[in-house]
Amino acid sequence: MSKPLRGRNIRQKSRPGLKGGYSESSMAGGYTQSPGGFASPALSQGGEKKGRTRANQIIPCTVSQLMSASQADESFRVGDVDVAQVTIVGVIRSTDKSMTNIQYKVDDMTGAPMDVKQWVDTEDQSVDSTVLPPGTYVKVSGNLRSFQNHRSVVAFSVRPLEDMNEITSHMLEVVQAHMALSKPQTMSGAGGGMSSSAMPMSRPTMGGMDGNVGGYAGANDMTNNGLSANQNQVLCLIRSCPEPQGISIQELKKRLGSMSIAVIKQAVEFLSNEGHIFSTIDEDHYKSTDSDD
Amino acid sequence: MASLLDASKPRINCSMLSQHIGRGVCFVGRVEKVHPTGKTFSVSDGEGKSATVELNEPLEEELSGIVEVIGMVSSKGVITTTTYNILREDKGIPFDLELYNEALKVIHDFPQHYPFEVAASG
Repeated sequence: MSKPLRGRNIRQKSRPGLKGGYSESSMAGGYTQSPGGFASPALSQGGEKKGRTRANQIIPCTVSQLMSASQADESFRVGDVDVAQVTIVGVIRSTDKSMTNIQYKVDDMTGAPMDVKQWVDTEDQSVDSTVLPPGTYVKVSGNLRSFQNHRSVVAFSVRPLEDMNEITSHMLEVVQAHMALSKPQTMSGAGGGMSSSAMPMSRPTMGGMDGNVGGYAGANDMTNNGLSANQNQVLCLIRSCPEPQGISIQELKKRLGSMSIAVIKQAVEFLSNEGHIFSTIDEDHYKSTDSDD
Repeated sequence: MASLLDASKPRINCSMLSQHIGRGVCFVGRVEKVHPTGKTFSVSDGEGKSATVELNEPLEEELSGIVEVIGMVSSKGVITTTTYNILREDKGIPFDLELYNEALKVIHDFPQHYPFEVAASG
């Protein structure tokens, strides 16, 4: 149906207050609200949480672990742990620079040196000065890739170490991360040992660490998630509480008759600092950050 | 000996030397005494024990501080060097050798989480 033109100004003027001709819409700035876009991983993928870990973490690894990781399509697994983004610490054995990338061979002593590829920004003039010489200890952060059965790491960061103690800390972080992310053991801890491991060990259980000197004796008390027996018991109870306001310290004391209020409060403070639990209606009520609801 | 670099080189200290005879290893320690010929020197580990390191070529530089030696352990417990690397402490941050020794014990206690072999991939 066409309206006859009557010489009137039928052009709709922009309304006062809306400069620039923007029409009113609910899309401010052009962003749409996509669910799970910037939500934390725990919320957006609630339905997919399987028994093992998901590949959205950056995991410290050794070259030997990366080379022996099993592969399913594009995803890799070291034992029970999904690995995608990894960090390795090693010494550069050789470098090969081309127009678009720098290839390093990084040796962390656990096997043959690993191929590490770092893409070069061709626009960046200062790139030549950043090729690191062989003999440099570096921390590589990147993604594990496999191409025609050849494994490599595509790095988004190759940083020379200034503090050589990072070598030591990486060794410890590798063990800690893989231990913590492996299938959780039964809460009883003692006697459970390392049943998730397929490799024969000379020491059968965790308690058998003789020869501990100095600061390493603490392993005897720990279950696989790094928490002591008391902390685990408290965490278990808090996790199992279905109520929205969580469980109170008094309730915990009722259920854990053998533990004193002081010990319970200590455990609660530790768990809260580590991020396993949070307080709800007041300082006496807590819920677990991992609850399955 | 170049193939030694392409295999695994377990990190060890003096007490583990005897278990790695004939194998390639990685030994981190503090340089103690350098022989006048420059072809051999002693290193101490985080437990204070010493080992002897032999080189194919005499040293061309002043060696001191913390060194990382990669080589093969002879039947006499001497490390014949393939290559060595000085762990620089010139940023003013000293390397904690005792802590490194503790970490060595951890990685040897948990070989399933810090393997020095490449297992066949599944």
